[in-house]
Amino acid sequence: MIVEPACPLPDHRATPRVPGGIAAKFPGVCLAMDAMRTRFELLLPGEDSPRLRAAGEAALGEIVSCESRLSLFRPGSLVSRINDTAYKAAVLLDGDTFELLHICREVWAQSGGAFDITIGPLMRAWGFRSTPADPVAAGSCEWGFQHIELDERNYSVRFLKPGLSIDLGGVGKGHALDLAAAELRAAGVSRAFLHAGTSSVLAIGDGSGSEDWRIAVSPDPSSPVVKLRDFALGVSAQRGRGIDDCGVHRGHILDPRTGRPAPGIETAAVVAPSAALADAWSTAVLVCAACPARDDLTGIIDRGKTASPRWVVHGPHADRVTTRAGSAALRS
Amino acid sequence: MEPNLNLDRRSFLLSASGGLAAVAILPELGFATPAPRLADPIGVGVIGVGRHGRALLDELQKIESFKVAAVCDTEPARLSGGQRRAAGAEGFATHQEMLDKAKGVQAVVIATPTHLHKEIALDCLSAGKHVFCEAPLAATVEDCKAIAAAAAKASTIFQPGLYARSNPVYKLARTFFKSDSVLELIAMRAQDYKKQSWRFPSSDPARDNAANWRLDPAVSIGLAGELGTHQFDVFQYYTGRYAKGVRGDGSIRLHNDGRTIADTIHCDFHYADGVMLSYSASICNSYEGRYEVFHGSNAAIKLAWSHGWMFKEADSPTQGWEVYANRQQFHNDEGITLIADATKLASQGKLKEGIGLPFTPAYYALVDFAGSIADKKPPACSAAEGARASIIGILADQAVVGRKEIDITEDALKI
Repeated sequence: MIVEPACPLPDHRATPRVPGGIAAKFPGVCLAMDAMRTRFELLLPGEDSPRLRAAGEAALGEIVSCESRLSLFRPGSLVSRINDTAYKAAVLLDGDTFELLHICREVWAQSGGAFDITIGPLMRAWGFRSTPADPVAAGSCEWGFQHIELDERNYSVRFLKPGLSIDLGGVGKGHALDLAAAELRAAGVSRAFLHAGTSSVLAIGDGSGSEDWRIAVSPDPSSPVVKLRDFALGVSAQRGRGIDDCGVHRGHILDPRTGRPAPGIETAAVVAPSAALADAWSTAVLVCAACPARDDLTGIIDRGKTASPRWVVHGPHADRVTTRAGSAALRS
Repeated sequence: MEPNLNLDRRSFLLSASGGLAAVAILPELGFATPAPRLADPIGVGVIGVGRHGRALLDELQKIESFKVAAVCDTEPARLSGGQRRAAGAEGFATHQEMLDKAKGVQAVVIATPTHLHKEIALDCLSAGKHVFCEAPLAATVEDCKAIAAAAAKASTIFQPGLYARSNPVYKLARTFFKSDSVLELIAMRAQDYKKQSWRFPSSDPARDNAANWRLDPAVSIGLAGELGTHQFDVFQYYTGRYAKGVRGDGSIRLHNDGRTIADTIHCDFHYADGVMLSYSASICNSYEGRYEVFHGSNAAIKLAWSHGWMFKEADSPTQGWEVYANRQQFHNDEGITLIADATKLASQGKLKEGIGLPFTPAYYALVDFAGSIADKKPPACSAAEGARASIIGILADQAVVGRKEIDITEDALKI
């Protein structure tokens, strides 16, 4: 993801990972922190620095708090407690986490199981969770959201089978951004740009004047650019970590329908009303290689350099997706 | 159960013989108190659900001994946020309303601004509630003493939120401190550095001042009081002694936004036997975060919230166990990691990772609170100790504000 904001930034192609990054000389307050094994950045345009900084710090506090609940790597986290005890007894949840699990169930059902947070045992078996890869063990793993019961009256979760575990790695960063954005809005902030590791993005209001925030989906010069305002963008890609699957190099995203690495497309992005939804659906789109059939989501698929057309865009906000030059809209 | 802190050198070495057994024996002394198993969980009300109060809500919900029955906050948005964190909890705008109307509240956790603690704590104790009150206990010496006096008269549990007293790493390291591992105490040092503005947002400008009480000189006790109190208590907890005086200084180094509360401070405490404690805190820089160090003639102990290390002098006697202990390199120094639950971690092959606490220090303090209520036993930290730690923080702040030396008299600490 590359931010191409309407604000006068020094280098519109600088990714946030570059020292100083998009924060350099930004006309407002820029805050950053490391959490969830990635870097979160908040850009808050405006002149009232003390007020914006206070709001931004409160938003970062929400991200810290979210990490302490959702981390798979902290024995004391809520997710660890769910994985340890939800088969023995229902675990009571806070409202935010319950809502997140509800979203996960919704995307699981609507995507035909292409997104599934119960692949925790599979992620471990394939070596993606600080464990040695053992694909043979994947064959005996238990997973499937149908084995999870969400009780809406008590705000609780229960596993219906032993051996299950949830892994919110595909949706946690987006959820953290949603909570941070809520904190910013509650503090009266009307313009902000938030991202987590450049793969989850959320825009509040406009970037400058009446122009939207413009986000390039990938560093590739042919990448589509999404115009965001009060919307979120989730990007899933197979680049980066990978594994050997029967002699073929695969990316790190698993297909819950088969229990094996997803063979699909290179990059998938989804524009959605919330960052959690965008994250979850971008994973599902990457696995399915098909845009979501929902009237509030826009999917963007990169089928690779040799495919024609390379980029497929579909959904209600397709007209907000343009080329980098801003000339023609990309449509499927 | 309070671990045996009177191990002499001989018995310590006997119990510590045999490689990892040195560390392994320590968990058996009960450093991490398990939460009590109760037929009916203790109904708890959380008063003040700002950022810290919500963090405590998260911890309370991990402890089966508690059920969050009510939350309370004067600001509607925060109250609503608190209720989202505690599904099913009743919401109240004031603590008095909660005391009058909430069903099933046997204990309260007070996480309001410091200067509001006294009235709430006294009302809750009068209403027969068990009280966990965040530290510092109050913003004035008189209020600290009033809270301690009320707690002494009450038949319920009162536990100040001084987390070191319940922290398994700190309890473990204290046994080393009490043995000959450190030997003669030479000096003490601590800091709390974290880059933050100390400003809190409010969507309603009319509530700005209330939300930013830490920056209001009329009620704030500054970095020394708000941050330092917790660390000054570590030194009291370990040494059993109180400083005789403190010299302070501070200035605004970064957040020059009209505030008068210093964003960077330094305090020097001196003790009767000549030992010095050097303390600094800043909200302008995060380097090295928060830690406390005890320099001894045999070794130094460094404590950093979830981790602890011992740095042995080259000429200190070898006790055997440390040869096998997990080590971490700090520039030119090598620290022996002080890990609670070392036996379990070693069996899982995780000892080398230098794992810290699995839960937050607040969690352990709240578990202790539950245990005290369930077993009717004294809290991990007494109200009097909490009041003294808070008073020292208040006096240190006065030294910083006045850029002067202040005596810490026996009278000031008399509860």
